[in-house]
Amino acid sequence: MFRTLARRLVSGALTLFLVTVLVFALIQLSPGTPLAEAADSAGLHRPSPEAIAELERIYHLDQPLHRQYLLWLGDLARGDLGRSFHDRRPVASKITERLGITLTLNGLALAVMVLTAVPLGAGAAWKPGSRLDRWAGVATYLLYAMPAFWAALLLQIVFAVKLDWLPLAGLSSDGASRLGPGEALLDSAAHLVLPVVCLAYGGLAYLSRFVRAALLDRAGAETALAARARGLSALAVLWRHGFRQAAIPMLTLAGFLLPALVSGSVIVETVFAIPGLGMLFVEAAFQRDLPVLLGLTLLSGTATLAGIVAADLLYTLADPRIRRG
Amino acid sequence: MARAARLPRNARAGSAILAALLLVAVLAPLLATDRPWLARGGRGLVSPALASFFGAREAAADRDLKPLVRAPVRHHPNRIDLDAVLQPPGRGHWMGTDVLGRDLAARVLHGARVSLAVGLLAALFALAVGVPLGAWAGYRGGLADAVVARCVETVLCFPALLLVLVVLSAASGWLHRLSDVVRIALVLGVTGWVPVTRYLRAEFLKLRESDMVTAARALGGGHLRIVVRHILPSALAPVLVTAAFAVGAAIGTEAALSFLGLGVRPPTATWGGLLSEAREHIDRAWWLALWPGVALFLAVLGCNLLGEGLRDHLDPRARRR
Repeated sequence: MFRTLARRLVSGALTLFLVTVLVFALIQLSPGTPLAEAADSAGLHRPSPEAIAELERIYHLDQPLHRQYLLWLGDLARGDLGRSFHDRRPVASKITERLGITLTLNGLALAVMVLTAVPLGAGAAWKPGSRLDRWAGVATYLLYAMPAFWAALLLQIVFAVKLDWLPLAGLSSDGASRLGPGEALLDSAAHLVLPVVCLAYGGLAYLSRFVRAALLDRAGAETALAARARGLSALAVLWRHGFRQAAIPMLTLAGFLLPALVSGSVIVETVFAIPGLGMLFVEAAFQRDLPVLLGLTLLSGTATLAGIVAADLLYTLADPRIRRG
Repeated sequence: MARAARLPRNARAGSAILAALLLVAVLAPLLATDRPWLARGGRGLVSPALASFFGAREAAADRDLKPLVRAPVRHHPNRIDLDAVLQPPGRGHWMGTDVLGRDLAARVLHGARVSLAVGLLAALFALAVGVPLGAWAGYRGGLADAVVARCVETVLCFPALLLVLVVLSAASGWLHRLSDVVRIALVLGVTGWVPVTRYLRAEFLKLRESDMVTAARALGGGHLRIVVRHILPSALAPVLVTAAFAVGAAIGTEAALSFLGLGVRPPTATWGGLLSEAREHIDRAWWLALWPGVALFLAVLGCNLLGEGLRDHLDPRARRR
């Protein structure tokens, strides 16, 4: 087991190295004169000489390439992601002040996704080919092809404009500070409904299909049949032989859902005017604020990698065949 | 024989949708134009719409023509009409008009051109990188495979949209001198090659061990010959599958970029751009948000259906489920 774990850790570390190299290569795409040139040809946002000098200092452009990379890594290790071109503030603090909102949004979306997809997948696996199975398959498939920003606009039109049940955008109503704590909570909850739905629906198709396949795989196995023969109810079999074993492969999905959620946050936060990391990213893209863009890219890259590796490690630990092997 | 070769229903539905969209994209200047298809002029019957489709410029004499047959959508996509601002769908404008009085139907039809061009071009770039890389990793195995696997995992760690946005806003000089469509397609290739490589690698790994390859090797075939003459033709179908998915993914991402305002620049009509404009009038003009989205949804759905259908067709195990 330790060999498997060690091997995964080593390959993970290798990927982490490549992740930093990739972000470093993105820096090389732009700084100094090429940056000024790019801005020139686009006819927009010409960076000031100070901004270029700042870039040269941050990325140690006076050094040879391999030393540039090492110095940059050293800065990263000290939590120094450089300063924003736009307002000169440290990138790290710009990110941390907005992190909470995005984490809340994504945590809620993930919870909604799992709480919908698991019953849906289980219901579909209950009787393969049943009406529920077919309709759930078609519905989630159609949702999967629906771009998040279109879904967001349609939801806004139906629930905010026509029905006026939910707020259109933002995180709180005007004058929310005058509300009592209970009302304020209700107010933010109402603001979060549409964004969370938009973020969650896309993964439904993927997750519910996965749950269905995993359950069919397990529930159809001989152990499940034997359990039924011993007189266990179908529900108990589904729980003991289905879910508990299907939970292991579901771990590996986590690593692949995370990047989709981050991409989704960029879109959803823009449509609903939520000041989280996604919106910060779009603002930075418009301002060609490279330190912020690269800081966020590096952050989401390492977070996803950590998720993938952790899921693989847990998978190894949870699977008795590998654990004892 | 013909029955056995019949594609599954989802693949047929997908290809029908895509064929229709392709037709619309190519013929958009004919389908949506303010110039008549057929008109009577001083020198008999003429077709100003066809003439402009083939590049002729509008002549002053055209104004005296008596139109006989008009295009199904009688408006130019960029013609501003301030007397017909934000009109709901109706007789004159069957998808309504936008805030400048431009006809939405004409703009949606023309938007198909950008979406499909970016989608096809991006898929081409993704295949150009992904096929050789996947073939190399799968055929050689060992170190080559390990290197490619690390690279694939690296790119997978990044959300595709983020990587594309960074490259678009950081990249320098020459990239900005390209046209919008080529530039975006090229940048989409940065992440597009990954799924192609993964799928091709698995396919080559499987085919490498096949009797056909052993036989070719026994007959003295070199590596290049084996790959190009024996494995690649068998792997052609998987290439088509990944191409279909790549087109769909590229269309979706291009729309997202244009929606954010970082894609194809106005006044060119794109589905993502139209939806972005719709945001500003969401409280007054629902139709602006509906129709471009329907078009985008159909395009992505068509690609997914085709890709999935082809894959089911190739892998009977997956078909039964």
